[in-house]
Amino acid sequence: MARLKFLCDTDRCIECNACATSCKNEHEVPWGMVRRRVVTINDGEPGERSIAVSCMHCTDAPCVAVCPVSTLYQTDIGVVLHDKDICIGCGYCFYACPFGAPQFPRATLFGTRGVMDKCTYCAGGPEENGSEAEFRKYGRNRIAEGKLPICAEVCSTRALLAGDGDVVGEIYRERVVARGFGSGAWGWKTAYYPEQDA
Amino acid sequence: MSESVVVHGRDFVKYRIGGAIVAAVLALALVWQVYEIFNGDARTIPEVRWGATVYDGTAVGSQDEASSSLLASQALAERTRFQAERYQTGPSPSAEQPDYSVVPDIYMTTSPMAFGEEFTESWARFSEGTGAMLHAPQRIIGISSLPYPGATIFERPVARDWRLGMADIATHLGALAILGMGFLLALMLAIRGRVPIAHGRSTRTVQRFGLLERTTHWMTSVSFIGLALTGLVIAFGKTLIMPFGEEALGAVGWIATWGHIMFFPPFALGILVMAVMWTGRNLPERRDLHWLRVAGGFFSDGGPSPPAKKFNAGQKLVFWSAVLGGLLMVASGVTLMFPFYWANLDTLSWAMLAHAVAGLLLIAIFVAHIYIGSVGMQGAFWAMWTGRVDHNWAKEHHALWLVQIEARNGKDPT
Repeated sequence: MARLKFLCDTDRCIECNACATSCKNEHEVPWGMVRRRVVTINDGEPGERSIAVSCMHCTDAPCVAVCPVSTLYQTDIGVVLHDKDICIGCGYCFYACPFGAPQFPRATLFGTRGVMDKCTYCAGGPEENGSEAEFRKYGRNRIAEGKLPICAEVCSTRALLAGDGDVVGEIYRERVVARGFGSGAWGWKTAYYPEQDA
Repeated sequence: MSESVVVHGRDFVKYRIGGAIVAAVLALALVWQVYEIFNGDARTIPEVRWGATVYDGTAVGSQDEASSSLLASQALAERTRFQAERYQTGPSPSAEQPDYSVVPDIYMTTSPMAFGEEFTESWARFSEGTGAMLHAPQRIIGISSLPYPGATIFERPVARDWRLGMADIATHLGALAILGMGFLLALMLAIRGRVPIAHGRSTRTVQRFGLLERTTHWMTSVSFIGLALTGLVIAFGKTLIMPFGEEALGAVGWIATWGHIMFFPPFALGILVMAVMWTGRNLPERRDLHWLRVAGGFFSDGGPSPPAKKFNAGQKLVFWSAVLGGLLMVASGVTLMFPFYWANLDTLSWAMLAHAVAGLLLIAIFVAHIYIGSVGMQGAFWAMWTGRVDHNWAKEHHALWLVQIEARNGKDPT
């Protein structure tokens, strides 16, 4: 079975934010929330790197484990989805997320954050695949059409890779061999292999 | 002294039968809770299966589960290949135009599935090639051009520990504390019976709590029970309410979230008034040690009841858990009510964990308080309800306080 993952090649990301923008547009993500963003470290100094991050769709996902209701659930391709009709906006998933993925529309009002929103890996939600109701709540369902997330497919430098983890790893390793360097798959240990020692 | 004992704890037969039944039920609940700790369901496992069908022009073709999953898998894996270098998969002037329709007219479906454990297990293992390309987990916070709270985070591995603390430690610890406390109290009621007014009811009563004291007590207690119940829904709703359906849990959870905020102002006010009103009488004294050493004389009907002023050592402990615990709950709760006003994500995480653990322990402590103030001790409830207690009750539990009161009344006989 395919196990879908995200990999951002920090040697290639140029902080163009096309992933964040196209995601926000594709899914019509409301104001105040963003499902994917670009983080830059050592900005303006030697060793500056940028990396695009969103929900990583973790193995043994901590957000699913801490959800006090049953909003979050995982699918057999690894994608973690959420049910907006059940969410109570408690914010536990945000505290448990190693990548700061969950977003809340009103993060400042008396703890009533509103219903959580996060990256769906372009796989919609519990509503019928491709339905209008699904689009309004969760955005486009590209996976149902056999496509991969727009953020990766739109990436001009092919820094952001999405899809079957084995194929993604293979593409990355071929690339590292061809160019002779690579700083590794950032976040993969935390996201996908929480138990095994590296 | 023991000859004059006219009421024995063991005489409360109906109470003792009730206690035995509750103890048996809570013992079962405890066994179940211990089983829950070790049944190994703490891991997240997939619940939904993806499959694929191919639109053949007239109807969506049907396939068996296995081949449908395989087709979905294959379509996604082949699509992934397109992200390889341009000279391999294009678009590039020097490469052939690839056929992007890997599986034409594919349509993916979802359905519930069982047995997800194997998935999680196989995902968690990596091959040698993957192991070599992993970047060491570390806390990475940078800058971001996007103006959202938490947008600068790339990775905080500590979040996985938070999950452990919340979902695996706090929840089970709290359930054990609350059920365990309930079980011990019910067992005590069954074996020992109520703590009686050993010399029987007298004809006289003494004023113990004034109107302000009682009003504050009941305002705080009602809001505490409201906070506790709504908090318990959030902590244990998945176990207690899920059997009635996910939608029910969502609805009750939403009410609990709002209710939790509504009950907060009277609780905070009550804690504040109590602290002002009662701190002076609750400062520790030397005789408190003696009281604690003999456990307040609660386990024998005619034994020496250690003399106490208005509040004995047990009541002082309850007071300080209410005030200090309450302040911790209010401080962490207000921090969580205003996310990112003065606390960053790490502070919020700690506040949340402290709030959960302290809240669960306070519930366990106040189960004991409610017990001893109602069924556990004969005559105790009326102190807080009407404000007046039986003269013999006062003599047996608060001898020094009674002397003070009578001395004052003697000077001013009205």
